[in-house]
Amino acid sequence: MDKGILLYCFDTELTSYQKIANRCVKQIEKYLKMPITIITDQNTFEAWPNRPTCDYNIIEIDRANTKLGKPWYNVERFKAFEHSPYKVTAVLDVDYFCYSDKILKLMESNEDFLVHDRAHDVTYRQSMKYDRESMINLVWATVLIFKRTQKVKNIFDTVGHVKKNYQHYCNLYRISYKNYRNDYAFAIALNQVNGFTHTEFIKDSIATVPTDVKILNVDDEGILIRNGESTVLLNGQDLHVLNKEVANV
Amino acid sequence: MDLDSIKKYSQYSYDINLQKKNALQKAASEQIVVYQNHIFSADALTICLVKTLSQTHKQFFMLDSNSNPVMVSDPDDFLKKLIQANQQSLHTYHQLIERFKKKEK
Repeated sequence: MDKGILLYCFDTELTSYQKIANRCVKQIEKYLKMPITIITDQNTFEAWPNRPTCDYNIIEIDRANTKLGKPWYNVERFKAFEHSPYKVTAVLDVDYFCYSDKILKLMESNEDFLVHDRAHDVTYRQSMKYDRESMINLVWATVLIFKRTQKVKNIFDTVGHVKKNYQHYCNLYRISYKNYRNDYAFAIALNQVNGFTHTEFIKDSIATVPTDVKILNVDDEGILIRNGESTVLLNGQDLHVLNKEVANV
Repeated sequence: MDLDSIKKYSQYSYDINLQKKNALQKAASEQIVVYQNHIFSADALTICLVKTLSQTHKQFFMLDSNSNPVMVSDPDDFLKKLIQANQQSLHTYHQLIERFKKKEK
């Protein structure tokens, strides 16, 4: 298959990622109209009501990781090169909702590997600034667009190596966040594979809805949020929604 | 001095600025154009460069947004696509600002 979307979806004891994935799939169907493959585990797959019509790949997962003190199992992304059946793949977080055809356009580019190096908080409280927490600039593994080339295989193999030796690389790059994080693993791998020089990035910034804003409504046109006394309608641009309550709206 | 009304006005100004900032980021995303498999931003600088070069060259070289060289062989077609993306994104932004102006009246 030529082009397609790869999603990773693993429920935890606290969060139903399948519900979030249902919304993500709806948005992809509306704005990208591309085949979708979902990588999931047996527990999530079996407990998934209204499971969307996609291709599924059920895998065994590492359940040791946590994020901000909560269980978080999304550590299999380094195998995306192996998991993807597509020649050109866009890996999206399930909480990344497409409200434009931007990903479709980027998949037409001749870059082997694309990732964002910038994200902004839609409430402009600078909550996405991580520049003082390591010696390396963070990349956002929320969206990865890649082709099946040797260079890209090298990148994913290196991410796997970084994952295996994560504490060492945390020390080497003085990363203060010690739990495994895909964003740092990809930043390190890109830095290493590109000979400690620059990387090609997606030039816009990921619009990010932070965890502490109230989500009032979500539909296929946009998201209505409330932050303090401000109500903001976000539409026409892709959104990364960190507040997992979006599953229940 | 009516502190309550100043507080309300301050909140209103914050709301407008927040929406303007989000709209500008949205416009920047909408300005992404992929032409001949290269990524460009349909911003004023790119449009001016393409327009200027096309006045004296039937085809020319320029850099994409990741500094890769590209040969532009059909400048008119490229310019048309850039202007279309640029104006579409700014039209959305203009509509938002007009809505604010109406609210202020």
